[in-house]
Amino acid sequence: MKIHRGRIAQYKHDQLLRDYLKQNLNDLIQQKELIIDGKVKTQIATLDLPTLKFGEETQFLAQGGGAGGGGTGGGGDPVQALGGLLGGDHHGKELTVELDFDEFVKLAQEVLIDELRLPAFHEPTRSGEMETEDPSELDDLDRIGIRADLNLEETMTQSLLRNARERGLLDYDVDVQQDAWYFVEDPATFQNHRSVEVYVLDISGSMRGEYLALVRKTIFVLWHYLERRYPTNLRRYVVFQDVAEEKSRDEFFRVESSGGTHISTGFQKAVELLAGATEYDKFLFMFTDGETSSGDFDLAKKAYEDALGAFDLVTYGHVNPGGRGIGGFSEFVQETVRTRPGAAFANLVDLDTIRSAMRDFLTFFDTRTTAPAPR
Amino acid sequence: MLSEYDHVIQRLEGLAHDRGLVFDPVVFRLTDSDEIAEVASMGLPNRFIHWYFGGAYKELVTQQNKDVFTILELVLNTAPSHAFLRNANTYLQNVLVIAHVFGHADFFANNHWYRKSNKNMLNATEQHARLIRAYEGQYGGERIGQLLDALLTVATSVNAFERSPQERRKRLIYYLEERAPLEEFERVLLEAIREEAEYFDLIQRTHLINEGWATFVEAELLTRLLTVREWASLSVQLCNRPAPYTIGYTLFKHVRDRDGFARALEIRRFYEDVSLIDVVLTDELVQRLDIFVYDPKEKRKSYDLQKVKEMLITQKLYKGEPRIEVDSASEGRDLLLAHVDEDRKLEPKRVGLFLKSVYALWRNPIKLRANGKVYTYDRRGLSST
Repeated sequence: MKIHRGRIAQYKHDQLLRDYLKQNLNDLIQQKELIIDGKVKTQIATLDLPTLKFGEETQFLAQGGGAGGGGTGGGGDPVQALGGLLGGDHHGKELTVELDFDEFVKLAQEVLIDELRLPAFHEPTRSGEMETEDPSELDDLDRIGIRADLNLEETMTQSLLRNARERGLLDYDVDVQQDAWYFVEDPATFQNHRSVEVYVLDISGSMRGEYLALVRKTIFVLWHYLERRYPTNLRRYVVFQDVAEEKSRDEFFRVESSGGTHISTGFQKAVELLAGATEYDKFLFMFTDGETSSGDFDLAKKAYEDALGAFDLVTYGHVNPGGRGIGGFSEFVQETVRTRPGAAFANLVDLDTIRSAMRDFLTFFDTRTTAPAPR
Repeated sequence: MLSEYDHVIQRLEGLAHDRGLVFDPVVFRLTDSDEIAEVASMGLPNRFIHWYFGGAYKELVTQQNKDVFTILELVLNTAPSHAFLRNANTYLQNVLVIAHVFGHADFFANNHWYRKSNKNMLNATEQHARLIRAYEGQYGGERIGQLLDALLTVATSVNAFERSPQERRKRLIYYLEERAPLEEFERVLLEAIREEAEYFDLIQRTHLINEGWATFVEAELLTRLLTVREWASLSVQLCNRPAPYTIGYTLFKHVRDRDGFARALEIRRFYEDVSLIDVVLTDELVQRLDIFVYDPKEKRKSYDLQKVKEMLITQKLYKGEPRIEVDSASEGRDLLLAHVDEDRKLEPKRVGLFLKSVYALWRNPIKLRANGKVYTYDRRGLSST
């Protein structure tokens, strides 16, 4: 049998990469654009051998543009440096390492769970749930599914329509990414362990650096617990400043911060997204510094009340990296949660406060094991 | 099936001999892109396993999967030569590769520097790999891993051409080999890594002439084998090769057109990259190849022959890396290093990591003069004055 040296070497490399990422998680997680093209990109010097390199750009040998003659390299000619190309070996090469976002999250969770010494998750008994050995009924269609459940008829129809639209040809040229439809369980009948989670993020001017790190760490830890409890869940993402917008996951993790803060819009959008949702548990996680714009306070109060009525649990994260006092709208929410079930407040200052927020969060499940599930 | 290439291999080999080429037998092997990426990332198929090669392998596989870059061929400087043909190549692409491989085989067998190289390198690397595995069992994987990291870091200072003991001593790895307080097994590994590094250093220092000659031979043979139409379609691919192929090819073609094929044979025998550039490159070729010195701050290109030559030669002499020399004032336990081109700044983050690697082998304080200061690395770590 052939020893696959390349793959063994790659395994060793990836082990080191994991160690590096763990050590540098805090810097990586603060990158404004955490996801680019579905990947987390990192420039990692230590995965190269620590050979010496020049630290500044000076003159170099290059080729390209085809301009010929002297003069400037204007006009947008592509200039290709010849340095590495003349060598022929890999020594001294910087490797840009790309990680799938899911892989990155898993690594981050390993570090955080370890650092935070988080409470173990006791799988609660699922009162109100149906346990069945029968195979599930795939009686609905969705654009997302598993290959084995591909609905050929619908997929072919979509392919035909797309080809007619794009190329003017009645051709079955299937592109699975664009055309596929899958058989899935109808969410109305599938309530066993499904949740809808809405993540709402304040992206007004102050959202950067440590602020982002705290939010993302909290979300990754939440996912760690929620994924165990709800193997099938639906996540939706909202960002807001003066207005609120739904975003894809990737967009949510590469936010541009700007504008003022209208917390009301965030809550309103989250409630809007629940329209038609039949999921068993509905969670809203709001992350903000609480400094809502003047004139928005009363609107925000009302929107918060509406959210409490619509969701099973509304967790309000007051992102507070400097550890200052709690004021503004956050103060109102902190007061409210004392008397309201289904409301939680977390003052996110550092890892310790994330830990206590998680404790509070997990009590939600403990109460669910004793009380009948809300419908 | 490799057998479908038997006939064309024989034809091309015959044509090569007719053109006056002489080489060791070539063993062809048809294989997949993955194995080619594996050999390319490790340099030789049976080399010891190291994470650094794993990173290069990962990068190559990713690039191949994305069709950013594909290695068409791979050939080893051994006797016999081993050549890998990619089974995903078209028949015509592999015909081109076979012709190209005969060019390399001829270069390996005739070039002055290659004739002195170790043609038994496959056995040597196999022995090194086994030795490393044995030492890992004896001294622990972590200790051997750290030693290999340090050795591979200083191994870039080898020079396969340098014969003068005095000059060699200015290069870090040779100095350490002679004077570092190493245990016996560490010294054995240092010699093994140095030997492998010299094998690859030779390839780097002759990359342009070697690829140029192989491409030149490929064209010489294929014009005699293929129909005009087949040749025309391949010529387009020839123009899109990476820089060493096109630059080297253009230089050899220029020599043949000006001085005849015999002169081209002579150059492949006695020259390496630096002398090829120095003797053959002309103003007209610089313009035709569109190579220039580029100043990114001024966004200015210079096609000045002297400047381009100097830059190319410096690049080849020091492999584009900072030139670090062991200072002659080094004595006893004092190891003094100096960055010769002190006007250019070194990346500060790497200085500490590099000196840490050297310290792992030297085990006594080290000083490095660079970036307008003196860095010291000792048991307390890095400091600078």
